[in-house]
Amino acid sequence: MTTFALNGQNITVDDDPATPLLWVIRDTLGLTGTKFGCGAAQCGACTLHVDNMPQRACVTPLSDVAGRSVTTIEGLSPDGLHPLQRAWIELEVAQCGYCQSGQIMSAAGLLTTTPRPTDAEIDTAMAGNLCRCATYVRIRAAIHRAADLV
Amino acid sequence: MQGPTPTRRSFLAGIAATTAALVIPLRLTTAEAQHAPAPFTPQPHAFIRIGTDGRVTFLLPTSEMGQGTHTGQAQILADELGAGWATISVDMPRQPTPDYRPPFMGQMRSVGSNGIRFWHDPLRRAAAQAREMLTAAAAGRLGVDASTLRAQNGRIVDPASDRAIPFGDLVAEAMALPVPENPTLRPEAELSLIGRSVPRLDTHAKVTGRALFGIDTRREGQLYAAVRLAPVFGSDVAAINEASVMGMPGVRAVVRVPRGAVVVATGWWQAKQAADALDISFTATQHDDLTTQAIDAMMRAALDRRDVPMTTLRGDAAAALSAQGRVVVADYHVPMLAHACMEPLNCTATSTDERTEIWTGTQGHDVARMTLEAALQIPAERLFINTPYLGGGFGRRTSAEVVLQAVLASRAVGGHPVKLLWAREDDMQQGLYRQTMMCRMRAALDDAGNIQGLHVRVAGPQMGRASFRMDPDTVARATGNLANFDPLSLNGLWDMRYEIPNLVVDHAVIDLPVTFNPWRGIAHSFTAFFLESFIDECAAAAGRDPLEYRRAHCAGQPRMLAVLDRVAEMSGWGQAAPPGISRGLALAESYGSFVAEVVELRVTDGRPVATRVFAAIDCGRTINPGQVEAQVQGGVIDGLGAALAARITLRDGRAEQSNFHDYALPRINEAPHVEVAIVDTGSPLGGAGEPGLPPVAPAFANAVFAAQGRRLRNLPLSDAL
Repeated sequence: MTTFALNGQNITVDDDPATPLLWVIRDTLGLTGTKFGCGAAQCGACTLHVDNMPQRACVTPLSDVAGRSVTTIEGLSPDGLHPLQRAWIELEVAQCGYCQSGQIMSAAGLLTTTPRPTDAEIDTAMAGNLCRCATYVRIRAAIHRAADLV
Repeated sequence: MQGPTPTRRSFLAGIAATTAALVIPLRLTTAEAQHAPAPFTPQPHAFIRIGTDGRVTFLLPTSEMGQGTHTGQAQILADELGAGWATISVDMPRQPTPDYRPPFMGQMRSVGSNGIRFWHDPLRRAAAQAREMLTAAAAGRLGVDASTLRAQNGRIVDPASDRAIPFGDLVAEAMALPVPENPTLRPEAELSLIGRSVPRLDTHAKVTGRALFGIDTRREGQLYAAVRLAPVFGSDVAAINEASVMGMPGVRAVVRVPRGAVVVATGWWQAKQAADALDISFTATQHDDLTTQAIDAMMRAALDRRDVPMTTLRGDAAAALSAQGRVVVADYHVPMLAHACMEPLNCTATSTDERTEIWTGTQGHDVARMTLEAALQIPAERLFINTPYLGGGFGRRTSAEVVLQAVLASRAVGGHPVKLLWAREDDMQQGLYRQTMMCRMRAALDDAGNIQGLHVRVAGPQMGRASFRMDPDTVARATGNLANFDPLSLNGLWDMRYEIPNLVVDHAVIDLPVTFNPWRGIAHSFTAFFLESFIDECAAAAGRDPLEYRRAHCAGQPRMLAVLDRVAEMSGWGQAAPPGISRGLALAESYGSFVAEVVELRVTDGRPVATRVFAAIDCGRTINPGQVEAQVQGGVIDGLGAALAARITLRDGRAEQSNFHDYALPRINEAPHVEVAIVDTGSPLGGAGEPGLPPVAPAFANAVFAAQGRRLRNLPLSDAL
């Protein structure tokens, strides 16, 4: 049994502690906003927060989060209107949308440490998140916009 | 299900025997033909459902994979119908019927940047028919002439009396009326959604994690499946030892499928562990030692062949092939590419003899249907297809291997729902790649440097024949070509609009065991690189400016001139560039749209890096300018990233790349800023999803020439940078 906090609620699961957190969250707990892209921490689609720090769920064993606090895109804001989500809506960033949960979770981590990032800081912080639709121009603009909205 | 029973064995033998027949023929000949397409008059109820509660649901004919067509198609339908934008919802049909099959393809298929450019007219007509039926019903009830009524915001309004009846109240009466054959479309002045940057319908769901992609499907009692497929193209299963994994945690079944096995378990992670551990062997093939180097050598040799039939002849062949005057020759090469959609391929299925239901993000609804019909004799009326969002498509999701695999897996566990998901490595290594090609361009220039004769020799696979059974000679006859015409390999070359008096295009065909599939832009993804790089080389040989040189070769082509002039203005072409900045230009027509692009690059430590890209697109009438801009922005960076670093290579008959660490997609720190302008020349509707991509690779290579005086003729460019 492994117990951790997921989006503010304590959860106990009996999955093999070696199972990547991604599959526990998606398949066991049914929260599908966190996506599978590569299984190797190469694309960032599975980015969520562990104790408020962005982390790749696809390479994080369940045992690593025992007693810790996990936040997924579903728990980023109570109403889905976090400043990043508002900026993403305003600038219509998403195309296929598959990577955008991970993009927003990485961006949230960036704004926590760097409230007004430069383009270069955005590029460095977000380089681990692939977008196959290449929405990068609007991602950059939306992070700047979210910084204004905070 | 443990181990195959004799019945299952013979059933599977049937599958194996039909594997080769799972190529789904595609009828594209008439799309290229000059004659008028067959009349296409689908019924309004195929697309529009209005509840008695007034709720309007649009059933849309193409899938939403990011290109924004669900929003664009809904704009078209809602505007013509007079529906209230806030009250509509969108869905897709559960069964492909003739209403959803463009006659030039004969299939329900989300390809070819057709979502708006083809569907605008049928959707407008269907919505106008529905509106006239509602209006006639209201006229009957109000006792007034229908021509005095207006459909507006989900109601039929009588301006004279200020009375209004909601659509929902009229549904029963309207349904009893005949469908008007020749409805009158609304005049331009009445349109309030078409042409505006209406916000996408799917954005909020996609930024909150609520949007459901195929991979997110959850059914009661669902099991999960992972695959283990033959790594070598053309290979199949030799032997499977099911017992090798049946004792692993959660494993429920091992199922034989074409080219491999599926492991079903209570969780995907467990299924994946077991699939990796499965004791399985594969048959030997004649190309177990095939390499990219060997394929390249075949293509290079084919560039010199003398026995290749002419596909296209314009003007005089002898003049096209002449060695008179100044001759410019250059060879180009592009590699195989993977689609690498962010959402790995998947399908959830529940299937019994009575009923099969699938949930899969597909671009090929009829491909799924025909695949199941051919392999398992599942009749169309017993198949139901749910289409969640697609986490990217780019052409890869027109195939149905995962559909057949999931259905076989479900049948093996008594019809339980099974979610089958490929790992990234499966997705990267199981083919259906963008074809590799070489091209030799040879031009004869006149005294002024203008191209008098051009011979285009392409060497490489014929994807249309190999993947879709299109017969190159039949297609040639239907399109005014001479012979051996594969549009999926030659579009952009045979139909070039540059005013070159003598032109020969031919194709030295190389057959490969590798499986290919359309990739964003199809042939244009490489033919634009060949042609626009070479035009630049000819301009340089003639000592002329690349913009002026192109303009001189398309003086009678107003759409080409319009996008060239616009991108020149945007980029400051002709004015001195800022210190350290160089520019390259390219132009391409695809899917009814024209796009000119200028890449600005800066050389840092000897390495050219794109800093800004300017793109001017003429896509005819624009339904949603914001989404056209988004598609061009994304297409530019996608095309640039692919040109710089992406390639699939073969060694020992199998793909060498496996994940994003060795198949490089562009990342945000490599993405230039992209400025897009939409040019309106009053032309017919064109596509927007693909046309932004083709010009960027040659524009970048041409900018490198401007900066460093060297020609980069082989993709990916990273080898030379």
